[in-house]
Amino acid sequence: MKKITIVSGKGGVGKSMLASSLAVLMARGGKIVAVDCDVDAPNLGLSLGLKDADYDAWKEITTNEKAELIEGKCIGCKKCVKVCAFDAIQWENKKNKPLIDRMFCEGCGACLLVCPANALRLKEVKNAKIGTGKTRYGFPMISGQLSMGESGSGKIVFVAKKRAEEMAVKEKAEIMLIDAAAGIGCPVIASITGSDFVVAVTEPTPSAFSDLDRVLKVVEHFRIPYGLVINKHDLNKGFTEKVESFAAKKHIPVLGKIPYNRKFVDATVKMTPIVEYDSGFEGIFAGIAERITAFMT
Amino acid sequence: MNMMRIAITGGKGGTGKSTIATSLAAELAKNNRVLLFDADADCPNDHIILAAKMKRAETVTQMIPEWDTRKCTKCGKCSDVCKLNAIVQIKDSYPIFVPDQCNGCGACTIACPTGAIGKSSKDIGYVHEGSNAGVDIISGELIPNQMLSEFVVSAAKRLANKRRHKYDCIITDTAAGTHCDVISALMGNDLAIAVTEPTPLGAHDLELIMKLLKVLRIPSRIVLNRSDLGDPRLIERISRKYSSEIIARVPYSRSVLENYSNGIPIENEEIKRLAKWVEKKSGGAE
Repeated sequence: MKKITIVSGKGGVGKSMLASSLAVLMARGGKIVAVDCDVDAPNLGLSLGLKDADYDAWKEITTNEKAELIEGKCIGCKKCVKVCAFDAIQWENKKNKPLIDRMFCEGCGACLLVCPANALRLKEVKNAKIGTGKTRYGFPMISGQLSMGESGSGKIVFVAKKRAEEMAVKEKAEIMLIDAAAGIGCPVIASITGSDFVVAVTEPTPSAFSDLDRVLKVVEHFRIPYGLVINKHDLNKGFTEKVESFAAKKHIPVLGKIPYNRKFVDATVKMTPIVEYDSGFEGIFAGIAERITAFMT
Repeated sequence: MNMMRIAITGGKGGTGKSTIATSLAAELAKNNRVLLFDADADCPNDHIILAAKMKRAETVTQMIPEWDTRKCTKCGKCSDVCKLNAIVQIKDSYPIFVPDQCNGCGACTIACPTGAIGKSSKDIGYVHEGSNAGVDIISGELIPNQMLSEFVVSAAKRLANKRRHKYDCIITDTAAGTHCDVISALMGNDLAIAVTEPTPLGAHDLELIMKLLKVLRIPSRIVLNRSDLGDPRLIERISRKYSSEIIARVPYSRSVLENYSNGIPIENEEIKRLAKWVEKKSGGAE
């Protein structure tokens, strides 16, 4: 099985749009599994037209622990406040005990180690849920969703990918298509890790270009082969040429160029991948899919 | 104008957060002293849109452990307490440290019974300062392949806070999503403006950010970008559900997009109206 991950750095340049159409096309030629690894704001399911009823029961998962005070045991030494590298523990003068801010606690356990009275413990928290949806295009999609105000997106991505791997074995899938989050931080690093090929989507704007350069540094760090897709390439032909010459200089293959068209918005509103919404766009996406497959074999 | 802190957020990426933040800042700067704080340390773009020259104000570091092999007894306790598997201990050998995995919690330094682990540091990001178009900018930038973007955001925020007396208004431009960086950027703001688009994706992510703002007890308003592309009812429904008024509707315009792709901030009537609204708002209490 080959893992293909779609990244962009900048948000909203068309990751889920590309992922949904590639998934539909690749599923016509073989078995695939799709994973939405943007656990902060998962959109791949919506792009593939999945409604709540199309998911099996969402399972709550635990990837984090948080420190918790055991009432009555604190001796007031404040060592926990001092040791916390994440400023998650404040001292409550009125109550003469520490107050742990769950939003910033990383569950590292340093406070437990330093507490002379064993007044703290780590408690597992359910910080996300994971569900499997059956798309109308015949392939399954795994989605993770971070719970409100919780942290640990990176670890949730690993769990979602593991779940997708189990699904891929069961379904005998040849391809796992991973839709990553915006940015270059831990959830994106977790999405890229272990991939066979990365597709970086960009658009011809200075912001997207700067963010592309940053996300490629992460991809290169992991030495994973990658290619480029330029979305809305006709919005700024001059800048598109700049992106292309950057690609040529760095020997990055341009897998395809997608034009700007209002129909992409209409397809999004209809929650339908663009290749299904208007078959006129099939050629562009089929070309991208072919080039990706060629690079992996 | 009373000092006002406004966060521009939205959940989904690419809905126009930075476009709205930079153009609103530039518009407000005509009559006010404005600081724009770019809190998207993963991918900071505000200085690019405003064509501002930035200079490094600070290097952000995190603690990493350092072993003194003369004192290390290879007991493996450091590896046992590390929740991130950043310390690998093979029997009868010195621990192997994986710096990329370390979040600097310091648990290993406490667990070591012989005091063999000291504290060193590594660079994880920068805080930059600059200005253009009458707008001062502070931004955080994560070094690629580092994990702790929230540290970089916090360091940049500390600098913004230190400078706050110089300004009438601080506009914070958050990253996409709802994770810890976004939460640290949102905290302490008087108002959050959620920028969204009238698509099911925009609506879905807007609802997530609305829920988060409710938890954080930050009042919110909505700006509907590309308001004529898609179905505005999707957003109006969430606006009603969370009693968060849609205060501006910015229609799609190819010239806006072309300006944007050339790095020019947008200037239009709706942004001017939004700036007036902010000025009026900061005159009274929310």
